[in-house]
Amino acid sequence: MLKIVFLSFLFGLIINAQSGEKITLRVFNWAGIYEIPLTQQIIDEYERLNPNIEIIYQPTPDAQYENKILTALAAGEPPDVFLLDSKSVPSFTNKHVLLDLNKYVDKLNIDTTQWFSNVTNIARRDSGLYAFPKGFTPMMIYYNKKLFDEANIPYPEFDWTRDDYLRIAKTLTVDENNDGKPDQYGATFINYFYNWIPWIWSAGGDVLDPDGSEASGYLNSPETESTFQFLIDIRKKYNAAPDVGTWAQSGKTGTLRALFYNNKIGMVLDGHWRIPGMLKYMDRNHPEFDPNYELNLGIVGVPKGPGGKKVNVMYESGWCVPVNVEHPEEAVKLAAFMSGEYASRIRSASKLEISANKKVTYEVVEQDKFGLEAEFLKEVPYCRQPWGSRIERFTEIEKVLQDAVDEVMLNDEPMHATMTRYAKTIDTKLFNIRENANFEFKEIEEHSEIIKFLIGVALLIFIIMLFLYYRAKGKERHQLKTGVFFLTPSLIHLTVFIFTPIVFAAYLSFHRWDIVVPDKPFVGLDNFKELFTDPSFWNALKNTFIYTLNVPLTMSISLAVALMMHKKLKGIGFLRTLYFLPTVTSFVAISLVWMWIYNPSYGVANYFLDLVGLPPLQWLNSTQTAMISVIIFTIWLNIGFQMIIFLAGLQGIPEELYEVSRIDGASAWKQFWHVTLPLLKPTTFFILVTSFIGSFQIFTTIYVMTQGGPIGSTDVFVYHIYDAAWNQLRMGYASAMSWILFFIILAATYIQFKLIGKDVEYS
Amino acid sequence: MLNTRKLWKKSGNTVIYGLLILLAISMLLPFIWMLSTSLMNELEVYSFPPKFIPSNWRWENFVEAMTLQPFGRYFLNSAIVSIMVVSGQMIFCSMAAYSFARIKFKGHEKVFAVYISTMMIPAIVTIIPAFLIINTFGWMNTYWALATPTISNVWGIFLLRQFFLTIPKDLEDAARIDGASESRIFWTISLPLSQPALATLAIFSFMASWKDFLWPLIVTNRADMRTVEVGIANFSTVYSTDWPHQMAAAVIVLLPIIIVFILAQRHFVRGITFSGLKG
Repeated sequence: MLKIVFLSFLFGLIINAQSGEKITLRVFNWAGIYEIPLTQQIIDEYERLNPNIEIIYQPTPDAQYENKILTALAAGEPPDVFLLDSKSVPSFTNKHVLLDLNKYVDKLNIDTTQWFSNVTNIARRDSGLYAFPKGFTPMMIYYNKKLFDEANIPYPEFDWTRDDYLRIAKTLTVDENNDGKPDQYGATFINYFYNWIPWIWSAGGDVLDPDGSEASGYLNSPETESTFQFLIDIRKKYNAAPDVGTWAQSGKTGTLRALFYNNKIGMVLDGHWRIPGMLKYMDRNHPEFDPNYELNLGIVGVPKGPGGKKVNVMYESGWCVPVNVEHPEEAVKLAAFMSGEYASRIRSASKLEISANKKVTYEVVEQDKFGLEAEFLKEVPYCRQPWGSRIERFTEIEKVLQDAVDEVMLNDEPMHATMTRYAKTIDTKLFNIRENANFEFKEIEEHSEIIKFLIGVALLIFIIMLFLYYRAKGKERHQLKTGVFFLTPSLIHLTVFIFTPIVFAAYLSFHRWDIVVPDKPFVGLDNFKELFTDPSFWNALKNTFIYTLNVPLTMSISLAVALMMHKKLKGIGFLRTLYFLPTVTSFVAISLVWMWIYNPSYGVANYFLDLVGLPPLQWLNSTQTAMISVIIFTIWLNIGFQMIIFLAGLQGIPEELYEVSRIDGASAWKQFWHVTLPLLKPTTFFILVTSFIGSFQIFTTIYVMTQGGPIGSTDVFVYHIYDAAWNQLRMGYASAMSWILFFIILAATYIQFKLIGKDVEYS
Repeated sequence: MLNTRKLWKKSGNTVIYGLLILLAISMLLPFIWMLSTSLMNELEVYSFPPKFIPSNWRWENFVEAMTLQPFGRYFLNSAIVSIMVVSGQMIFCSMAAYSFARIKFKGHEKVFAVYISTMMIPAIVTIIPAFLIINTFGWMNTYWALATPTISNVWGIFLLRQFFLTIPKDLEDAARIDGASESRIFWTISLPLSQPALATLAIFSFMASWKDFLWPLIVTNRADMRTVEVGIANFSTVYSTDWPHQMAAAVIVLLPIIIVFILAQRHFVRGITFSGLKG
């Protein structure tokens, strides 16, 4: 019945949307705010050319794009056309989520030769083509010509070698004030995958065998190891590259760029996406151009390997169409238009990427007054597709690889032993991934099973209520009626939005679900078994416990602050507001500020340490201090939050109790101990229980600041769950983990209730 | 004797002020940096050594931050959703909390335990089923989708329950003897008495809803249904951040919460006067 109501409601919406017999297509992409108008322009043009089509365009910020696509797929309502990142190609094509565009190419007269063939190939599987390529980039070395001129050395050329790179890096590294710390660095090196994979390939090495089935013998091969050594030496042996934290940290905060623009770094590895931000420093006609910051930029490909081989990597994205869309032909036509000549020309204004469309790219190269686009074009024939576009769940492998580099670079572990050990870890992971991928899914069209869960849960609660009602007698029954009456609103709400999802998660923990297809095969206890044999699970558990140590610390500080604030002093309202600021500020913004504060080479935290004569710390960038740094940030963030609750609790303590104890001559300390603390117990207990639960569920901070690194030292439970669910698409496994988490927190909370939860009431 | 005590109190106050101000400075520093960044141009943000005072105060950053995206609409959306959530939580949470703290029907501890235990499943696991439910209801792109999942909240129920427990029962019992119904006692006695707690809950639910981020993105398909926090995040991509505009937007978005905080603060500072309860 409920379902019919909803369906007819939905149907009503559809009819409304289709009035005028227009076909409506939905388009998703990730886009920054400067990119959105360009895409909108392309869409407007398409609507103008095709009056029977109406397009709903929905951009999403890049960091949340995958969540967005996956939830849409889970609901069985994917957009008609969406932008596909090369790393999503394997999981989407293996699960047959995407339409084979080849079947429409002839019929719709789409010219596939308009695109660079190796870019198109990224989304090819066997005879099928699953996306029309939009744009791509190889990894390039951006260099500051001014530093080269000052040092009087020639600019690097297309066929430069690794020796040239090292020589230049050393020459450009200068310690002007002779304090042992260079003031200008020649190069950079970060553990992130794309920073080193072209180097390894051009040395003839690799991280996996050609089939992508194992790492042993490749990750620990002499070619690969010597390349890692070469890159790490630039940072550690020659001190020719600064320590700017991880890729995410330096990328988001812009530390590398800051140094580059200020002539402090000679060479930086980056993709084409860096160009738009650099234009205002280069182009004298740019409205924001400032002659004090003029940048004389040069760009060149990654140097040749020791054997003289030239290989680069390319990252691509393209427009794809999911299977089962209502109007496949119209959608494919739109996808082709989005990657076509007109769209590419409009998009090329953004300079974010190289267009996959050859004609447009040649035009752009010709018109480029800085001569930089030509360097990108030269790299194209040497570009290989990244592992991520070939192997499902490669992001998981990437993470392990980055840990391996960190082990050697940050923790001084020996190269060969480390790589061999990590190669074995990867072999196991690859085996598991293959096992999981060999899976035939049943075709299911049904996406609304959640309603069955909802009805089931609601019925169950209703039956329990009836049962309780009939069991109760007389006054008890009356009390029950009143009690449940007061509970009803929240009970209904909880049933729909909390109980049902939780029961659904319980169901999932015995199933396999990869979100993108509706089939959820039963796997029994497999998820739980795998969990207990996974060392990273235990590591996450351990880290979560360590993190939880912040609870008593934060509570004591905020109680102390609340007690001071409780005094009726002048200006206390203002101070209180100040303390509350961290809690209320946009997390996105404030976490960025803190990442900048924690920067190991240039952050304010180390500046203060230096002021008081202490040695600098690595903060988020070392396995020893990362968790502590996260904890400090958490305390800073939560003091105001807890203070407010304590304050509200303190307000509830009758003033005369203090007066009585004052007359009795009790000291302030005694008052605190015998009046404040006991009467504050319900509040304290509340904060204890909820902060404990909150601590066990720490996620956003880790997600934004460390992604669980370095080397898993901040990988906490819920981040681990998030990773399994959203990055590895293993919702069943993630649900199993959350049930373990549930029982741990439940046990801990139970203990807290038993030990100190005895209700305090006035008698 | 009186003098030394006064002196003692005075110096005690000075120490307290000192400590509070010192800590407040550490709370404030990141904001000062945020504020100064919001007034710089990008080149200055990236200057090295870092600058704390912009050489050229670019107030237009604030105008640009608000106009580069439809922030007016975002503010409206956030405001509507926050008001829905705050009023919802005030009613739903206080009713449930009253039931647990005062009525104490048989088995209320067990029900309460079930309530509390729902806090233990992380939201990132329930987000997909919750989304599926909203989607089946046909609520995508509506304020209902944005607000309803948090319109009641176990955290708030727990918070209010704890406060109800600390309120003396005398008045209620007197009313009960006079034959007042539980609903009447709840509305006319318990709720007015728990003003500080309600103010606290109002602040926190407003704040949580104002700052919510992933959920609004998932249940809305159109830019005109987005909220302020999404707008702020839009200034960041994986590759880079538009520092000045992002910080300017963050500063502006902060203001309404501060105002709500200052307004609510009055309520819990005034507090309850217990003297009327005696006798």
